[in-house]
This record gives sequence, C-alpha cells and structure tokens, in this order.
Amino acid sequence: MGKATGFMEYKRTESAAEEPLERIKHFGEFHSPLNEEQRRDQAARCMDCGVPFCQNGKMLCGMISGCPLNNLIPEWNDLLYHGQKEQALKRLLMTNSFPEFTSRVCPALCEKACTCGLNDSPVTVKENERAIVEFGFENGLISPEIPAVRSGKRIAVIGSGPAGLAAADTLNKRGHSVTVYERDDRPGGLLMYGIPNMKLEKSVILRRIELMKAEGVKFVTGANVGLNVSAKQILDSSDALILACGSADPRDIKAEGRDAKGIHFAVDFLKSTTKSLLDNGLEKGDFISAKDKDVVIIGGGDTGNDCVGTAIRHGCKSVTQLEMMPKLPDQRAESNPWPQWPRVCKTDYGQEEAIALFGHDPRLYCTTVKEFLKDDQGDLCGVKTVKLEFITDPETGRKLPREIQGSEETLPCQLCLIAAGFLGAQRYIAEAFGVELDSRNNVMTEKGGFSTNVEKVFTAGDMHIGQSLVVRAIREGRDAAAQVDGWLMGYTNLK
Amino acid sequence: MILESAEPREVHHFAALLGYGACAVNPYLAQETIRDLIDTGMLDKDFYAAEDDYNSAILHGIVKIASKMGISTIQSYQGSKLFEAVGISEELIDRYFSGTVSRIGGIGLADISRRTEALHTAAFDPLGLKTRDGISSSGSHKLRSGKSEHLYTPETIHLLQEATRTGSYELFKKYTQCLTREDSEMTLRSLMELCFDENGGVPIDEVESVESICRRFKTGAMSYGSISQEAHECMAMAMNSIGGRSNSGEGGESPERLKSDKCSAIKQVASGRFGVTSEYLVSANEIQIKMAQGAKPGEGGHLPSEKVYPWIAKTRHSTAGVGLISPPPHHDIYSIEDLAQLIFDLKNANHKARISVKLVSEAGVGTVAAGVAKAGAQVILISGYDGGTGAAPKSSIYNAGLPWELGLAEAHQTLIQNGLRSRVVIETDGKLMTGRDVAVAAMLGAEEFGFATAPLVTMGCVMMRVCNLDTCPMGIATQNPELRKRFKGKPEYIVNFMHFIAQELREYMAKLGVRTVDELVGRTDLLRPKKSASAEGIDLSQILAGTDQTQKQHFNPEDVFDFELDKTPDRSVLLKKMSSALKKGEARSVSLNVSNTDRSFGTLFGAEITRLHGENALPEDTYTVNCQGSGGQSFGAFIPKGLTIKLSGDCNDYFGKGLSGGKLVLFPPKSSGFKAEENIIAGNVALYGATSGKAFINGIAGERFCVRNSGASAVCEGVGDHGCEYMTGGRVVILGRTGKNFAAGMSGGIAYVLDEERDLYMRLNKALVSLETVCEKADVLELKALITEHAEATSSEKAKRILDSFEEYVPKFKKIIPHDYAKIRSTVLALEEKGMDSNQAEIEAFFINKKEA
Repeated sequence: MGKATGFMEYKRTESAAEEPLERIKHFGEFHSPLNEEQRRDQAARCMDCGVPFCQNGKMLCGMISGCPLNNLIPEWNDLLYHGQKEQALKRLLMTNSFPEFTSRVCPALCEKACTCGLNDSPVTVKENERAIVEFGFENGLISPEIPAVRSGKRIAVIGSGPAGLAAADTLNKRGHSVTVYERDDRPGGLLMYGIPNMKLEKSVILRRIELMKAEGVKFVTGANVGLNVSAKQILDSSDALILACGSADPRDIKAEGRDAKGIHFAVDFLKSTTKSLLDNGLEKGDFISAKDKDVVIIGGGDTGNDCVGTAIRHGCKSVTQLEMMPKLPDQRAESNPWPQWPRVCKTDYGQEEAIALFGHDPRLYCTTVKEFLKDDQGDLCGVKTVKLEFITDPETGRKLPREIQGSEETLPCQLCLIAAGFLGAQRYIAEAFGVELDSRNNVMTEKGGFSTNVEKVFTAGDMHIGQSLVVRAIREGRDAAAQVDGWLMGYTNLK
Repeated sequence: MILESAEPREVHHFAALLGYGACAVNPYLAQETIRDLIDTGMLDKDFYAAEDDYNSAILHGIVKIASKMGISTIQSYQGSKLFEAVGISEELIDRYFSGTVSRIGGIGLADISRRTEALHTAAFDPLGLKTRDGISSSGSHKLRSGKSEHLYTPETIHLLQEATRTGSYELFKKYTQCLTREDSEMTLRSLMELCFDENGGVPIDEVESVESICRRFKTGAMSYGSISQEAHECMAMAMNSIGGRSNSGEGGESPERLKSDKCSAIKQVASGRFGVTSEYLVSANEIQIKMAQGAKPGEGGHLPSEKVYPWIAKTRHSTAGVGLISPPPHHDIYSIEDLAQLIFDLKNANHKARISVKLVSEAGVGTVAAGVAKAGAQVILISGYDGGTGAAPKSSIYNAGLPWELGLAEAHQTLIQNGLRSRVVIETDGKLMTGRDVAVAAMLGAEEFGFATAPLVTMGCVMMRVCNLDTCPMGIATQNPELRKRFKGKPEYIVNFMHFIAQELREYMAKLGVRTVDELVGRTDLLRPKKSASAEGIDLSQILAGTDQTQKQHFNPEDVFDFELDKTPDRSVLLKKMSSALKKGEARSVSLNVSNTDRSFGTLFGAEITRLHGENALPEDTYTVNCQGSGGQSFGAFIPKGLTIKLSGDCNDYFGKGLSGGKLVLFPPKSSGFKAEENIIAGNVALYGATSGKAFINGIAGERFCVRNSGASAVCEGVGDHGCEYMTGGRVVILGRTGKNFAAGMSGGIAYVLDEERDLYMRLNKALVSLETVCEKADVLELKALITEHAEATSSEKAKRILDSFEEYVPKFKKIIPHDYAKIRSTVLALEEKGMDSNQAEIEAFFINKKEA
C-alpha cells in the first residue's frame, strides 16, 4: 500500500488548473502537475485494499464500477509512493495500452469506487497514472519494442480509434503484421477529432502513433473501407480482420426546420476545429466557427461540454446547453451508494468556463428543441425550446418524456450543435463485410467473444458494445486481440 | 537428499519439501530474485545480508510450523509427512505421497503437467516473442479481477451491504445468486447438488419459522480488542434481540456490559484466559473453550501492541501498549482428561451455562469430538478454515485448516458410530454466507450455525485486510478513536441478515420436503455430487456417507451429560450450611474434610456469591471455609472476593485456577514433621489465568506457577520450571528457588524472588524482563506487606525468619519486571506527578509511547 496511515495524514490534492478566463485564450491543455513530493503524498493515500473496488470493472446496479481494464492500481500507487516509478510503469503497462490517453480523458471510474472515497476523498488515481506514464515518456522508458519474430500472419484493423489502436498494438507485439485503415486524414478516431485539443493534446496521440509505426504497425489514412477501398480486397489479403469503426451513426433531432443552415452534429463541429488547428493553427478560418454567434448545444453530456469549451474559445456571443433529463443531485442519493457509479451533477471544464465568462451555468434541464427557426436565406436564426416532464408508463414502468404544453420559449441561435449520442454502427461498413447487426445496431458476436458471423472477421470497441468510454474501447481492443491471436496461432500468451 | 529447484519460495513450500524427505533445499530462483530486486533498486540492501534475512525468515517459518505440530527439532519434522492433501487423487498420493490423508480425491499427473506447461509457455513464449515484463498478480490474497476467485468480491460485498441496509430480500437473493451460480466451484459444498422433492416438497408456511431458526444462529468469536467496542456491542445487541448468540471472543468483556442487552451470550475461554473472571463466566449463556482456531490451528493469538489501547488492556487485565500473546495450548489441557476437568470447572463456575468446545476441521477431529462429548461438553463447534482471523500469518491462511464440510461430516459420523450423537449439539462455521450453505451444513450434521465475516460486512467491512494494522477505515477492526467515529453499522443490519438467511433456508427446506431443521440434520441422502465434480475426479463419498439410522441423529436434551453437581461438597455441604447467610451477605464459616476426588472445590459456591452479590462486592473473609486433607484438581477455581478457603494438607494441579478476588491459603498440617519450605505442597499450573485475589502457599509449588496471571497476588516458597510464564499483571513473591525458564513471555506484573544463591540469572528467561535489586521504597514496602500477610495466614517459618531480619534479607531479593511494563509505568507515574488522574495518565502514556515507537 502507500503508507498504512497515509489516508489519515494526507488530504486529496489535485493538480492546479489554469484559471478559466485565461485558459480560454488558447487551445492547449491547462493542468500543471504536482511536484514529486506532493505526488508521493497523494500515492501514499492508497490503502491497498484486500478487495480493491477501484479495479473491479463490473456492473453494479446497472453501471460499471471500477476500472474496466482491471488496472493494478494499488500496486502502482504503492510503487509510486516508494519512488519506484520504473516499476510502477511496468505494472501500469501490464494492463493498459495507452495510459497517456486514459489519464487525460477517462471519467475515472476507479476514483468513484475508491474505498477512500467512502468516508473521505478518493485517491487521485487518474493523476497518479498520468505522472507514471509521462515519467516513462520523459525518461525514454517507453520506446519502440520491435517483436523478435514475425508470425507471417497479416491482420487488418479497420478504424484507428482507441479500440483499433489497442488491438493493433497488442497483435503487433505478438509478431503479426498489422495494417490499420483509417478513413480520416489522421489516425486516432474520436481521440483525434472527437475530443478537443485542450482535453487531449494531439501531440500525445501522434507520439503514440509514431511509436507504433516504429514498431512495425502500418497506417493507411484516407482509406474509407466500404466506400473508396474494397472490403473484399482487404479481407482476402488478411488472415484476420478486426472491425473497430466505432458507433458513428449520430442521433438526429428531427424537428421542423431541420434543414436550416447552421445546424451541425457535434462531432463534425469539433473535428473541423481540431483539423484546422493542426493544419494551420486556425489561421485560415477553415472551420465551423461560433465566433460572435449565439450557440445552442443539444445534449448535456461530455461531448456537449466539449462543444461549450470550443465555442467559447471561438469567441461566441452566448452559449446554452440543453439537457433533456432533470438535473442530477449534487451529492450521491441514498439509493446510489458507494461503490456504484455516482449519478451526480458534474460541472466540467467547459461549463466552468461558461460560468466564469457569462456568469451562469450554460445548462437548461428538462428542455429540448421543438423547432428550428430560419430566416429568409434559410439560415438558422433561433430555436424554439420546450420543457419536458417524465411520466411513468404504467405498462413498462419506464419513464417517458412528454412536452409540457405552453412551456415553449424562443432562443436566438445562429449555430446549433447536436450532441445527442450515437445510435450504432454505420450501415455501409456492416454491409460491406456482410456482418450482422443486433437489435441495438451493434455488430453481433458470440456471447463474451468478438468473432462475427463472417469468418476471419472480428469486431471491437463501440462498434461492438455501443457508444462508450475510451477505457472500455482499449479493453475491447486488447481482449479481441487475445482472441484473434489464439485463433490464429492455436495458443496465446495474451490472457 | 538435497533438492535444487527454482520453485520453492514460500515457507509452506519448504515445510512440505522437508516434510516429505528433503534434507536441504537450494531455492536458487528465490535467491536470484533477491539479487534482481537489489539490481533494479527495489531493495536497498547488501545481497548477502538480504539472502541471509530471507533464509532466516524461511527457517523461522519452518520452525514455527513444526512447533504448531508439537515438534521441536527439524530432524523430527523431516520426513514426517504431517500433511493432509485436499484435491489430490488417490493414485498420485499412493505413488508419491503414500500415507498422506486425501479424502476427496482430485487432480492427477496430467493436470499438474498441463499447469506446468501453461506456466512455461507464459514465461518462454514458443515463438520466442517477448513475454510480459513482470509476474501477474495472482489475486490469491488481495483480490485481483480475473484472477484467483474469492467469495467476497465487490459485487457480493456491495449487494450484501445494500440488501441488509435497506432490508430488501430481493437484493439479498441477488447476492446469494452470485455465490450459488452453476459455475461457481470455490467450495466443497458448491460441488454438491440438493435433491429436491419430485412431488414439489411442502408448502413454505408449514416450515419452521424464521424466529425459531434464528435461535440456532451465532456470530463468530471476534475478541473485543481485535474489533472495536462499537462493532462488538452491535453484534451482541443484534443477536440478543433475535434469540441468537454472539461470542465475546477471547478479549474479556467490560463489566458494564454484563448486565445489559450488550452482554455476549457466549463467553469464550481461550488459552490466554484474558478477562476470564467469575463475573464473566456467570454472565454467560454458553461458555466456549477454544481449543483451536479455524484459520490458524495450532497457533495462539496475537494482539499487536498498537491495538492494546488502555481500554482494551483494562478489559483484558493487562498493560496498555504491550502486545498480547495467547499461548497456543491451554496450559491446563495436556490430555482429554484435563479437558474434562476444565469442562467440569466451567460448569461449576456457572451451572446454568452449557459448555461448548471449539475444535478445528482436520483429519481425526471425529475422535477428538467423541472424547469431548464423553468429557461433558454440550456443544461441539467444528470450525472451518476460511474466514477466521484478520491477522493470521499468510502460511496459515492458505495452508492450515480444512473446510468445515470435511470435519463436520467426520464428527457427525463418528459420534453416531459411538452412540454419542444425541448428547451434543454440533455447530459449524467458516464462510457461511447463504441459506444454501446452512442447508448443506445441516444435512452434513450441524444444528447450530456461526457467522462471522458476513455480519462484519453488513456493519460496513469491505475486506480491506488491514485488521492487524489498527487502520481499519470502517471503524470495525480498530481501536483508534478517530476511525471508530466512522462506524456506521447498526444491529438492524445484522438482524436483517439473520432473517434473510433463515428465510432462504426455509425456501430450500420447503423444496426438499422437510419441515423442521431437526428433520434436516444428517440428511446426506438429500445431497449428491454434481456431475462436474465427478468429472474432475473429486470424490465426495466419504462426506456424504450415510449413517446408522437406528441411532439418534441429532441432539436430545434428555441425553445431556450429567455432571452430578448435587454430589459435590459445594452443594452438599457449603451451600447447605451457608445458603441463607449467603443470601443476606452475612459472614459465616464452615469446616470440613476434603479429599482429592473433590474437584473444583469452592467453585460452585463462589459462583453463587458472584451471582448474588458480584465478584468484588463483599469484604474479604466474609465466608471462610477451613479444610483438612488433600485438595483435588482446580481447588478454589474462579472464587470471588469474599470467599476465603484455607487448606491444611496439600493440593493437586490447578490450585486457584482463574482466581477472581478470593483468598486461598495452603499449609501443611501442624503435626507434620517436615520443613515446609523444602517440600512441594501444590501441584502444577497453580493460579492459571488468575485475575485478582490472593494466594498464600506455605511450601513449594510445581511447574507453571502463575502462568497467565493478570492481577492476583501470590506468595510461595519455591516453584518449578516456567514460573510466571505469560504473566500480564499481579504480584508474585517466591521465598526460595525457581525452576528454569522463569518469566518466559512475561509482559506485565512484578515478581520478587529470594535469590540467596545469587544464581537466579541462570534460570531466568530474559527476553522480555529485567532483573533488578529491590531498592525503591514503594517496592520494599509492598514486598514486606505481602510477606507479612503470608506469615499471618500460614504461620510460615521462613516468612517469620525473613521478617525478623528484614533489612538483611532485602538485598537478597531480586525484582523481575518486564521492560514494556516498566516503561509505561514510569510514564504514567511522571504524568500523575504532574497532577493528571490515573485513567487520563494511562491514556496519555499510551499515545506518547505509541508515537515514540
């Protein structure tokens, strides 16, 4: 454990964040890490529980509790406390392919289940992870590991998001020849273009991609398999194929006036900013801009928050975030005790910035858009919102939303971003490979496995389980790789 | 034969290798690993020093294991094959481990070969690729998801806590489903199937009620000291409210609780005899003699010094800040006859209580159970290897003790074979977590059921496994006042758990077609092995063997052992003559002859005093009994203040056992012609576990004088070997020679020894004590007072001689005082001099010393 009495002696301390009004002036990451001694004190708080809830990764009352990767958290916390950062890194890399991603973007299921959090504040597991992995990179401990032998097997991975990358990385280390196909101009999937730069700096992703290239993984960008690249050709020239294209079919708001100009899916909006930022530092203005506009974001989740932060950095006039559901409580409800995932109201970085800039939280609860208003040129000029109430359906017992009559309001709006989640895998890829989809529009596999109805074809990540977290995608990629390796070679050392 | 292998690394490995014939072992990989630890900076030590330390640790571990088996030399341990196998096939045993008990069959060479290959592949990849950098955590001690399975996982802990907190039986069923899933095969009972009645069973409202079933439930023995007052009292209140029983454990119990709803119904008498006073015993509904502990059989207990807070020390009659060791054996039980004697003692100390003996599941427990039943025990507890102490050494957790299924079946079958079954209630415990577990236990022969870990979990325990560090963040296994504030448990949660278990049991009983628990006991015909078990080579036939149905299958109150208490002189003479005076608390005295067939003389009468007035209420010498003749075993055991017994003659073993405030005087008859100071007058193990009171012995006492004394004053004129062993309090004056190994394990109290030959240092065990002359004025006065009282009580010639030239004799006395005891005493005195009152000073001193440590 850290220190036996650590949890009694040290209080949780987080790394410092740049003031909201300062950090909105740029698109870079804005946290500054604690120093060595402070970090060790934070690691000392870990109690090395006999039953570590932090690494559980299983469902508890309908939500995942603890790390889906089963990270060896108590072990590397202890090593970190003792200053054994190299050993800590080894322990970390045993279960996590990309700690540099998770330690930046993961909602930290580990911390929500931390035993320390039951009577006090949880251990700063996420920041500890970041300290360890960045130490690794800074000191050349994470360098290309070229496999000693090549198996002669060729594997194609379609999609270079976290699931695809994890699978590729793992399989490459088993000596297979992996080629990753990515339809965008840069690899990374939602890591690259879905998450804004201030949350996950793109140099971090490029660093990893370069590492993988040096280890022998091949990347083909601009290859939209199923559209401009033949699925059959790739399948025929591969011994195994993994579909990791994500859950990319966005949910739409089919209200009147939907054809107005100025309504975009959140992913497209975020991508355009990030791409321009990387191409030319936003100089050419070749992105969907929120400058001087009233922005309305439909969707109160993480993506919505990313839109808030991005819109503010563009210099928007105002920003409003509409959330269908009622506001969650600020503290855990009694029916939602530890170690379940806490259903509480989270105020993220974008919302903090909106509060600092405009003086109030940008979110409106129990609200959705009923109609999009356009001007004579067909441009979006406003949205008509309506309040919702939730009625329990007597038959199914589920709560269904119903518009409250007379609660309509009009908000001025010239840019509307839809961040309402995803419905499932995109059809064209499924059809290109002939894989069946299940009732949720995810690619169907055998229970507990990754193989599809098509021989040689496997799937992993959001495409398999529906839209989820980066950390789960990494787990999916690793587990799928283990199954593929075993299937190809007759044994696997990946379990 | 010298073994060279990369595999051995843990104590148990080496012990097993030695036990099966190796003379020496070269664990080269373990040593290389140490070198690697140093090279990678994980260990900052010189290699040879580290290797030495490792070897030393292993050796000490092996010696400890051997000593638990009662073996003192490695030569005797080597080749002794003192192991039982669980899960190894008969074939393999016969070929390689012949003679080793293996009762359920199991794996063969093919299985071992597969596992070895898998390990090899993981280390040396067949393709030559890089394997993981580091060994995976096995998850065997601290859980790791996806590795070794545990019964207590985040799911089961959370569901159990939620179910009992909110009172939801539905959630409780979700919890039990996690454990009784088809594919769950972690316990022997999970390899058995219940044979439900084909006709649908009986309606559930015809089954014995929840209230009635709950009376068979108990919580396990967890001492006050290992767990906090809040947790301990919570369990007592809960069990008392449903007619079940909680167990005090071996830490004693504070007097305030004894007459409240927080009184533990079961009082444990363990080898340490901590807090075992007359009042403690009189308050009990059941008195349990702890022969061993499921998770660590053969070992004593250990409460680390950080956990011996002042209030804990008080209840245990010991010193704050000084670690407490319970010796492995009871020093008054060296044979089954001795156990019968202790059972008799305790029955006299509280004739209303039933006497229970806690045994541990291992091969041969059936025979022991039969002996125990004949000795008069009314309850026999067969304790399994799971669960158990929060602070056992790792080699014990994994490699000692056996599942209760094995021991229970054996005990039940053996008792029936010997026609003894109906004399006793059989109880079992060890990770009983569901109604199904209880059903299986009943079918294998149990009638009462103990739960320990589960009630703790309902009170908030999340299996941190840091119980021995006093840092339990849930306020359960700690004495730290700050952490205890976090305790969130409530008796309702435990009550819910017990009700739910009973309800689930009823559901199973209904499906089995059985209406009462009594009907269910021993019904192995309702169990059969799962097909998957047989496929894996597991043979449960010994466990599921049927019994002679003409014999009684469960406890019958009419068959209970008759202690013939009416025939004791306590009832036939003492109570007859003094009972009305006793009721009024009037002083009285009586004279009678005694013989050595009168065992536990004075105990029954003393218990009546405690029951009517309390053990500390009456003035000294209120009731005086003048005896002539030979005192039997346990003479004056547990007698309280107010009772004085004088014996002119001599006495057998266990004189003054558990003395609880009374006064005992022993001297040879006036007419005898020998020199009292040169002759042995009392047997072995006198004053074992005495807590208060006085004893004056005009002669020499045998071995183990005042062992585990925690507060009585005693004067005698010579002792045998191992005097004052494990003493934690009180004053002993020896006016003559001691035997060897004096003051071994002594952590409290003071002994004054007359060392005329100046050779006491040769026979003293100096590990915990220092040897000084008596110079402090207070000590001299104390010594003189004790010798004076001795002279007055016994007319001892030697005492008179000493008092007549006291100034000359003082320099010849030596004072034996434990280091830790002396330290805390001086800290307390210093604080008292500054004006603090003694209670406050004790608490302060404890924290000061703790910080320094």
